[in-house]
Amino acid sequence: MSNRWEPKLVALVCNWCTYAGADMAGTARRTQVPNIRIVRLPCTGRIDPVFVLKAFGQGADGVIVSGCHPGDCHYVQGNMLARRRLSVFGELMHFLGLDRRRLHFAWVSASEGVKWSHVVDEATAAVREVGPLGRWSSSNRNGSTVFALPERGREPRSAPAADEVARVAAALRAQATALLAGGEVSVVAGYERGSLPGQMVPGFAADPVGVEALDWNERCASNLTVYLPELLKREGKIGLVVKSCDAKAVVGLVRENQLDRDRVILIGVPCAGVWEDGHLAAKCYACAEEVSPLADVSLDPASSGGRAVADDPRDAEIAALEALPATERWEFWQRQFGRCIRCYACRAVCPLCYCGTCVADKTRPQWIPVSIEGAANTTWNVIRAMHLAGRCVGCDACQRACPADIRLDLLSRRLANEIEIRFGYRPEQDPTAAPPLTTFLSSDQDEFV
Amino acid sequence: MDGWRLSDEQLRAWLASLFAGGRRVVAPAEEDGLVLLREVASAAEIRLDPRGRTRWSAKEFLFPATETLFSYTFDGDDVALERPPEVPEQVIFGLRPCDAAGAARLDDVLLVDELYARRRERTTLVSIACADADPACFCTAVGGSPAGTEASDLQFVPLDGAWVGCCLTERGAALVEGAAPLWPAAGEEDWAAVEEQRRAVEESIGAERLPAEWAGVLAEHFDGELWTVLGERCLRCGLCAYVCPSCSCFDVNDAGNALCGTLCRSWDSCGFAQFTKQAAGHNPRPTQPARYRQRVLHKFAWFPLEHGRFMCVGCGRCVELCPVGLDIRQAVNKVATA
Repeated sequence: MSNRWEPKLVALVCNWCTYAGADMAGTARRTQVPNIRIVRLPCTGRIDPVFVLKAFGQGADGVIVSGCHPGDCHYVQGNMLARRRLSVFGELMHFLGLDRRRLHFAWVSASEGVKWSHVVDEATAAVREVGPLGRWSSSNRNGSTVFALPERGREPRSAPAADEVARVAAALRAQATALLAGGEVSVVAGYERGSLPGQMVPGFAADPVGVEALDWNERCASNLTVYLPELLKREGKIGLVVKSCDAKAVVGLVRENQLDRDRVILIGVPCAGVWEDGHLAAKCYACAEEVSPLADVSLDPASSGGRAVADDPRDAEIAALEALPATERWEFWQRQFGRCIRCYACRAVCPLCYCGTCVADKTRPQWIPVSIEGAANTTWNVIRAMHLAGRCVGCDACQRACPADIRLDLLSRRLANEIEIRFGYRPEQDPTAAPPLTTFLSSDQDEFV
Repeated sequence: MDGWRLSDEQLRAWLASLFAGGRRVVAPAEEDGLVLLREVASAAEIRLDPRGRTRWSAKEFLFPATETLFSYTFDGDDVALERPPEVPEQVIFGLRPCDAAGAARLDDVLLVDELYARRRERTTLVSIACADADPACFCTAVGGSPAGTEASDLQFVPLDGAWVGCCLTERGAALVEGAAPLWPAAGEEDWAAVEEQRRAVEESIGAERLPAEWAGVLAEHFDGELWTVLGERCLRCGLCAYVCPSCSCFDVNDAGNALCGTLCRSWDSCGFAQFTKQAAGHNPRPTQPARYRQRVLHKFAWFPLEHGRFMCVGCGRCVELCPVGLDIRQAVNKVATA
């Protein structure tokens, strides 16, 4: 026997069309390469990209996803949803430095045994050309040879004056007092000073003492909407201090039926941007909204005119990464994910990560290995970003929380950009629009198929 | 006191000599802009910095985030078990006194474990005393010191651009054998300056030592509304436990298939809802405040009642890195003085 490498492919196929088509190929005595292992699923709509990642993580070099032709889905639209989801996932694979040819999508009906054997032959040949995937882990933790992201340009704004933020803080306390005294809310979730110098932390005020502790300044970076589901279990109605970006997460929760909007009063603070370690946060460069238009009560903005904005610096960083050869991009991300300690702080602070049982905690089957090492870390970080595709509002809470400084914001931003290009959608824009990966158009781009 | 006074060059030359003989060297090094303790390939990568702490502790090199306990292969009805490969001889250089003290806390719990004990036996800890402290530091509150020597085999103290070092154990002596005789001895005035620096840093930390009786006091405060207030901000991640030098909880999991696999031990955290979730679905710690209480009381009540010291070395990482700014110092103070 030769030791020549043979590609291994996993085919995730739907029960009604492709599985029957593959069966047809067999009964018709079609010959095809023997490199695939078929997994039969009820519908391609059931295929979460975590299936693809699990296949890769367990040694597959390529994955075929195949289901019914448009219009033929046994469940009406599963295949159309799969097309959107996996097209976006293919882009994410590319951004990570994984060759897109490792993921193959095809429509194969029950009568298309011939087509199926062609699909298998073609996909196998493509993966053979790309080569073995190899082990998912960081081979390069050496700091001296790393790719450095481009320097950020000049910040468009400087931090607001101390007396200005103090004025806002005072107005905020007055507003909170009024809401609590009038019985409109039972608690106001805002910010208070933490134990470290300059640190601002979440604070919940239910009485005058609590209100006195509430404060506001340009270091109030965290997104408090993450507390809403838990607070609403015990409180009647909540006053929530929101920056313009935070309020978008409220829209997301309402859209996904996770929140009764009538039980929340959004207190919009005028925000000039948040500063971290003396620098304007990247998400604030391009933000032109001083006070959220979604707020129920707004404090007076500091300025009435427009304000200076600049391009989001992450776009230049993403472009720099995409200019790299795929193997170097893969190295970049493997080094990033290699540092992950799986503390799940990214998940904990995300307002839109509200699943009762996260895919990472599921054990039957175990989608993501418990082991804290390269392959499992990669699967976790990638699927977390993917599950937020079209839902993430770009608050960067995950990025701020990550103790390993993994550039989660670049993953989110790249996906958000992709979704805007493909579907003309940004999650914060329309509270009534369906999230783009839960819907489809028959005119969706077909290049992937 | 016996010891030496080294220049940067002398220290680096010695560090370079450590790489001989297949020994693993772990030291502070930069990676994508953050400073981590990690395996380095040469002395040039090592950050010789008198200030600041690494993002997380040296725990992963004594108690790895994931470790194979054994691997197994099925052959028909037979099962072949294979032990993990021998752990490497390693030197952990540049950890802070609090990190080294963390190893002593891990010992209290994990030394009974054969694999951990083997790693510990083959590890030499070379700490660097702190020339300054930051607002999250509180080693002095839990019995430590910026120049604490607990669990260190060797220690170097940064002093005006030089390094005053001393040997603390036989294992440490073995590591400087050959090099040390050539190093200039430290004088009386050096040790006086070291002592003065320690006092100054301790003063800048300004934390009162927690009374040992507080363990008992805290234990009596298991019930009470205060925990709800203290824990309501906690968002159920495991960050604090994973960056902690002394947290030692783990989960054991299988990774494999019907033919072969490994049994692994991976870090776990009491902050996760699944930590105590039972097979039948019941969870004895159903709320986040209950889990936060466990974290605080395990470190400051249950552990000291059993081992005579707090399971916290005051490194301040959980305080500095908590995404919502929970400060365990405040929790302990509030509950103990309630």
